[in-house]
Amino acid sequence: MAVVEVDNLRYRYPRQTTLALDGISFTAEAGEFIGIVGPNLSGKSTLCHALIGLVPHFYKGAIGGRVVVAGLDVHATPVAEMSRRVGLVFQNPFTQITGAKLTVYEEVAFGLEYTGVPREEMVPRIEEALRLLGLWELRDRSPFALSGGQMQRLAIASVLAMKPQVLVLDEPTSQLDPSGTREVFEAVAALCRQGITVIMAEHKIELLAEHADRLLVLHQGRLVADGTPRDVLSRAVRGELENEPAPAPPVTEAAAALGWTMPEGGFPVTLDEAVAVGRAVMAGDSGADSR
Amino acid sequence: MRVSLYVPADTWLHRLDPMTKLLMAAAGVALTFVLARIESGAVLWAIFFTVLGTGRVLRQAGSVFAGVGIIAATFLIVQGLVHPTNATPLIILGPVVFYKEGLLIGLRLALRLYNILSATLVLVLATNPADLTEALVRRGAPARLGYVIMSVLQIIPTMVAQSAAIADAQRSRGMETEGSLWVRVKAFLPLMGPLVTSSLIATEERALALEVRGFGSSARPTFLKPEVRPPHAGLVRIMCVLTLAAGVAGRLLLGW
Amino acid sequence: MSAQRKTSPWSMQFSTLTIVLIPVAIGINYVGKLIAAALKLPLWLDSIGTVLAAMLAGPWVGAISGAANNVIFGLTADPISFWYLITSIAIGFVVGYLAFTGWVSSFGRAVALGFIVGIVATVVSTPINVILWEGQTGNVWGDALYAYLVGNGWPIWLASFLDELVVDIPDKLATVIVSYLILRALPERLASLFAGGRDQVERL
Ligand SMILES: Nc1ncnc2c1ncn2[C@@H]1O[C@H](COP(=O)(O)OP(=O)(O)O)[C@@H](O)[C@H]1O
Ligand SMILES: [Mg+2]
Repeated sequence: MAVVEVDNLRYRYPRQTTLALDGISFTAEAGEFIGIVGPNLSGKSTLCHALIGLVPHFYKGAIGGRVVVAGLDVHATPVAEMSRRVGLVFQNPFTQITGAKLTVYEEVAFGLEYTGVPREEMVPRIEEALRLLGLWELRDRSPFALSGGQMQRLAIASVLAMKPQVLVLDEPTSQLDPSGTREVFEAVAALCRQGITVIMAEHKIELLAEHADRLLVLHQGRLVADGTPRDVLSRAVRGELENEPAPAPPVTEAAAALGWTMPEGGFPVTLDEAVAVGRAVMAGDSGADSR
Repeated sequence: MRVSLYVPADTWLHRLDPMTKLLMAAAGVALTFVLARIESGAVLWAIFFTVLGTGRVLRQAGSVFAGVGIIAATFLIVQGLVHPTNATPLIILGPVVFYKEGLLIGLRLALRLYNILSATLVLVLATNPADLTEALVRRGAPARLGYVIMSVLQIIPTMVAQSAAIADAQRSRGMETEGSLWVRVKAFLPLMGPLVTSSLIATEERALALEVRGFGSSARPTFLKPEVRPPHAGLVRIMCVLTLAAGVAGRLLLGW
Repeated sequence: MSAQRKTSPWSMQFSTLTIVLIPVAIGINYVGKLIAAALKLPLWLDSIGTVLAAMLAGPWVGAISGAANNVIFGLTADPISFWYLITSIAIGFVVGYLAFTGWVSSFGRAVALGFIVGIVATVVSTPINVILWEGQTGNVWGDALYAYLVGNGWPIWLASFLDELVVDIPDKLATVIVSYLILRALPERLASLFAGGRDQVERL
């Protein structure tokens, strides 16, 4: 059964006249990694917020359609209740630190304390989350003394300790350097393998093409494409998506220009795939050349 | 930069649980108002001195005392000069006459100031604010109040650092921060405005981040750290109550 | 949908956003005081945060910010501030209520609001000064006036009131004007997020 079900979701912010989300429908299974792409202001953050109920409970405004996550109707469930099934990680590593705890270890405990998790259960959960994100050695540091990548992993550990079935990340690497970005992607991919559903809004299309099982493409609040990275990005390079909302990674562009296609159809979306396809094409070419 | 005056150490006072120290402070403030005579106020201050001294925080208390020295001096001067009951001249410096009655009242006010300060410092100097907050929340104070207290203690150093950075930036752009009163008044808004605006804007993201951590939950919170109360806490609590009772009885029966 | 519900400024709903505002307000109070002292201004300017919180989120949040401000400083750094708790609460209430009834709609009205706040602060602080310190405030200028008046046979209450008034009127006037200017400079989206905190979610 699908862990996330979004059906004809429509949303308008207060005092606005246009819809920020307009008729979005999709589902996600356990352990799936879904990337959300689209230009700025296309509604990626709004959609992320809608999966945990910040839209509409925090922002108010007007909502329509249905969002069911981990069996709960998001529109009828308080965010505090949703937070035990869905974790949300934001863009800015700094403002996600609660500012009320003195160490990394205590920071992870914050959500557990507020939702009343018994102490005996807290300790192992915190340790597990910190080890999983590679922060165990840093547990006695002040959260503000961490690097950007470490802070972002702390944010992930903090929501992970709540044992969510779904992890939503809104451009989690946009303020990180390449090594911080890699840290985050590797951590997230590991969680996915453990059966957690990951939904990530992200601009770094190469990394999504490599890790995501599916891509959702947003444009002006509407879902304009939903499919495997190969499918979506191949359509993007062929100019089949209206208004070209999703730039394909350079490998895909290059492969398309050379006419290198995958055996099962579509263009390669990662460097590895392109190399494999390219090698086969070259081998074929040289075979033909040598007569 | 730290906001809290807390001085970490390992003394009998530091080891006491926060609630016991809260009781000490409350009893001390109550006694300040119960005891009427200057002599009794002085005895009370001596008791506080002993507590602060054996708790190894006397030096820090001393700098707080010095900080309010001007206020205490104003009490003596103003009351010595003008209190309505003044009748007996004590010190005459040319046209300025200090009266005995007023000086005694000023002395009582100064003692009251120092006694209130000392009572609170017993709690403040020797208690980690995080522990105090947690102790209060355990006893039914709203968890959100706990958040506010802890957040203030972390937010203030951050904001002070930011304001220093803004001041440097504005000065390097040629803003004057010294000179006539008007020049200094005009400098206030450019120093304050950007910091206030940016910290207000950040409230949205911080609120979102807290919401997804279950902050709005109506469940009773639990606590990562277990609560410990040292063996000597009971004795200290009994002493507090006895001292307070003795003070009240002394005031009523013997006019202390 | 029916017409927009008219909400009262006295609604006691504290969203996470308003809770987060409280420590920020206290931080603003603190930094205001610090900058005023660094510039050697003859004003305290230590309630800008309380005033802004009240303007943005209403009388309850204003009052709670004021109360929390004095309790926290009373318990950590400045034990005497604890006793002026009631003054801070009164400032929060007055500004929060009047801001919701249109007293920050123009500069002129903000100036009037500053006077009102100054008078309220004085009225509330005077009894505290009388109970604790025979009516003195500990502020050199105000106490000089106090000494002159009491020396000329004025009653302590009245001298104390004027002592506090000469200090509070300029201070609160400046505080409210600075807060008003900052409020005007905030992005529309933030102000409406605070204002909309009590709205209901509509169905599309
Ligand atoms: N708090 C808000 N109030 C009003 N409009 C908003 C708010 N947040 C976002 N929007 C609008 O909603 C649309 C989608 O924004 P957003 O979800 O932030 O897009 P993205 O994350 O893809 O950049 C934009 O038109 C934006 O202006
Ligand atoms: Mg966004």
